[in-house]
Amino acid sequence: MPSPEPEIKNHIRRFRFDHGEMTQDQLAKQAGVTRHTIMALEAGKYFPSLLLAFRIARVFGAGVEQVFEYQVIPDSAETLRP
Amino acid sequence: MSDSEKWAWWALGVVALTIAAYVAFLVFLGHNPAIPSVFALLALTALPASSRRYFKGLTFDEREHAIASKALLAGFRAFWVAFIGLIMAIYFIKGWDATLTVPVWTLSEVIWWAVILVLGVQALTTIVLYRGGPHA
Repeated sequence: MPSPEPEIKNHIRRFRFDHGEMTQDQLAKQAGVTRHTIMALEAGKYFPSLLLAFRIARVFGAGVEQVFEYQVIPDSAETLRP
Repeated sequence: MSDSEKWAWWALGVVALTIAAYVAFLVFLGHNPAIPSVFALLALTALPASSRRYFKGLTFDEREHAIASKALLAGFRAFWVAFIGLIMAIYFIKGWDATLTVPVWTLSEVIWWAVILVLGVQALTTIVLYRGGPHA
């Protein structure tokens, strides 16, 4: 049985709220992407590149792992085990 | 709606208009060397703002790049399948040793149909991926 795809959750919406209810447009401008990409990220329809993840985390003054979270799925963890 | 999506809808409209014009020409004039002139309509795909975005100094972000690459790849895949299909169809209908004699303008017409196929599939794929294709 194929293992499920890994998931990357993000807390962009919460971070925006915590940063004076920053709009998607403001975040997009500061991160150097379009608002549509921020919308897709928040909706979980797009996984960002490492570079973009760092840029977004930097906008919030947080670490990448605070903004983005790798979901450990038991099945896929098993396959990674030696 | 993003600029790329607007371009995709516009491109689909241009493709539909070109096909309609082609059919109209075919009905009223018959299949003759004037027909390929309708393919000039495809130049309208350059009109939307997104086509000029590069020259305005605005760049596409990584998601837009990813979608544009996937859409173009889908267009060329469709072209490849159609090309192989056409060759195989000719083989089965005419036979491997058959000789085809066609006017040069018909060859150019085939190329324009290929452009229409690539553009159409590219535009459709762009729309689908922007409409929530997983991790587009």
